Amino acid sequence: MKPNDLPVGMAEPFLRFEDVSIRLGGREILSPTSFDVARGEFVCIVGPSGCGKTTLLRAASGLVAPSAGEVRRKGRAMTEPSREVAFVFQDYGRALLPWRTVEGNVSLALEAAGVPAAERGARIADVLGKVGLGRHGQKFPVQLSGGMQQRTQIARCLAQKPELMMMDEPFGALDALTRQSLQDELARLVREDGLTVLFVTHDLEEAIYLGDRVIALQANPGLGRPSLARMINVEIPRPRDQLGTKEHPEFLRLRRELFAFIEQGHD
Amino acid sequence: MNARTQTWLGSLALLSALVALWWVASNAGWVSRVFLPTPQATFASLAEGLRADLLDFTLATVGRMLQGWLLASLVGVALGAAIGVSPAVRAWVQPTLEFIRPLPASALMPLAISIFGLSPGMVLFVVAFGAMWPVLLATVHGFACVEPRLAEVARCLQMSRAAFVWKVGLPNAMPDILAGMRLALTISLIVAVVGEMIASQTGLGQAILLAARAFRASELFAGIVLLGLIGFVSNALLALAEKKLLRWQRP
Amino acid sequence: MTSAALWRAVRPWIFPLVLLVSYEAYARRAAALGSDALAPPTAALQALAGAAMDGSLWQATGFTLGTAALGLLIGAGLGTLLGIALGLSRRAAGLGFLTIEVFRPVPSVALIPLAMLMFGFGVRMELAIVAFATFWPLLLLVQAAVQQVEPRLLEVSRVLGLSPSERAWKIVLPAIVPRLFVALRMGVAVALVVAVTVEIAANPNGMGYAMMIAQQSFDPALMLAWLGWIGVVGVAVNALMLWLQRVVSRRMGAVL
Repeated sequence: MKPNDLPVGMAEPFLRFEDVSIRLGGREILSPTSFDVARGEFVCIVGPSGCGKTTLLRAASGLVAPSAGEVRRKGRAMTEPSREVAFVFQDYGRALLPWRTVEGNVSLALEAAGVPAAERGARIADVLGKVGLGRHGQKFPVQLSGGMQQRTQIARCLAQKPELMMMDEPFGALDALTRQSLQDELARLVREDGLTVLFVTHDLEEAIYLGDRVIALQANPGLGRPSLARMINVEIPRPRDQLGTKEHPEFLRLRRELFAFIEQGHD
Repeated sequence: MNARTQTWLGSLALLSALVALWWVASNAGWVSRVFLPTPQATFASLAEGLRADLLDFTLATVGRMLQGWLLASLVGVALGAAIGVSPAVRAWVQPTLEFIRPLPASALMPLAISIFGLSPGMVLFVVAFGAMWPVLLATVHGFACVEPRLAEVARCLQMSRAAFVWKVGLPNAMPDILAGMRLALTISLIVAVVGEMIASQTGLGQAILLAARAFRASELFAGIVLLGLIGFVSNALLALAEKKLLRWQRP
Repeated sequence: MTSAALWRAVRPWIFPLVLLVSYEAYARRAAALGSDALAPPTAALQALAGAAMDGSLWQATGFTLGTAALGLLIGAGLGTLLGIALGLSRRAAGLGFLTIEVFRPVPSVALIPLAMLMFGFGVRMELAIVAFATFWPLLLLVQAAVQQVEPRLLEVSRVLGLSPSERAWKIVLPAIVPRLFVALRMGVAVALVVAVTVEIAANPNGMGYAMMIAQQSFDPALMLAWLGWIGVVGVAVNALMLWLQRVVSRRMGAVL
């Protein structure tokens, strides 16, 4: 698949994946993949297990190095994690400090960034308000539900004032109702703050619902069968809602297209 | 009367029954009073002794125990943190540490006597050295077992190494460290008492040894009671501190 | 063996070896200067060999291990039985609570003079203290293990109408075997440590006493030899218990 064609002389794209491939245990999990992400875009990555979507995300955030190729943010290679790229882990329980309160956990991001103590309180309150945890600041993670814990993690990521947010199946471990409300909250936050998001999920509907673009990966790449199998633009107007959007003809068309493709991939 | 109070009273009743048994057995001479003094004699010795020098002995033993324990905890945590944060250092050093774990602390006493002679310093050295190992091993374990996800979060936030050790490593290791310190406290008391016995240092250890040699059973029992009390109070205080420090586990 | 496996087998020994070698050099100089506290490891090995040849090594080791084993049998045995009883019966556990909390904190070494008074010196005195010291950890650990038996299994035993002894024997005991072994391993370690401690403090028998005698005769090589030997015995016993634990758990299909 060719990367987005840019007119000659245009500035470096916000995020560029250039021939990124990943090998694990001698096998190629992800064949050389290239695509660009523009600032403010919400890109969803879907695919069956083993297609390398999580590893791709981790490589993009600098947590691991790709076996070949490069990920460049604003022209510079992502070899190490950076505070400007926030990462939301799927296992939220293990990504929070159990001995700190919700406020304490959010504060960690500010402390790491060297924000002076006097300013922290206001910023923490602001970000907790955004995710709806304003009244739970003094609670410890063990006292929170799964959804609240994930919101705490998102709050901490927002406190970093990131340019780019990487999300690895953030709602996968939550029940359906919580998932839906968090999807809408996330869409609102992203819109308010103008964030660029890379969102990995196995849920096709979630990908279409949230994304401006959906990238579908397939497992076991081989000759003539690249990992990057499909890239579709989601041209459904925003703001979207759980009922209306899911009955929108474009939503249904994309859903059918993606489903068929995934089924095909399962042969 | 609710169930909890009932249990408490029942428990108290059993204890009182045992004390009553003690009273009967010793007063009626079922067990020779050379070994088993009567409760009243024990109490009398306790009261008398505290007015005399038993209090000094107790304070000496407690002082030895606490000094050694605090020293051991400080060194143990510092050293344990240094070893625990680095997987490389751990790989080299940990097997040797595991070898030392089962060794009796008191076994070092002959060596310490050769080096320091029969002195308070000798006892303190062995107490501190013996009590250090549980704290050190627990600290190494606590630092080694940091949730990998938290390590990644620290990388994503670009936390400095020092900040990571202080804000993530240490709190994470706290439950282990406190458990190690509790064990260390028990060892401190034991080694302090043994040290006093061997090196004839002022304290409860020496006091009960002399009492036994002079066949003064009630004084012996008074000393045992005090040692039990020291063990009980020190453990209870530490458990309380642990509960406060680990409030986040059970808020 | 691959080079990686070879490295992994050898690496744990490098650090202690470096320590030993540097200590050897240091102690040789100290001995040359007439120190009666430090001896080089090589001299200690010689002394150990000497003790092995004249039988004193085996006699003392036998005494310590034998006494520790007997004390453990009594203490851990009683502790296990009582632990099972208290674990099965909430009421009994509640009744015994205060008594346990009063007697448990007494350090076992505090009873050395009492045991001396009652039994004089020898096996019985040491045995009694080891029994006291091993009783409490076993009691508490077994009680906890019984209380944590999968409640579903106990419900099954009620539905099947098992008698109390059948329930204890067929359900509870097998269920607690893994944790029982962990507790026993700790009990063995405690027994050994306490036995050696009693010998150092008072009892003129066994490995601890042999070490004290060596120190008092200004024989640092022999003293170091005993210290090292005590360590080796401790490690060997612990390794044996670990092996036993693994064998038993494998045969019972338990997950430790």
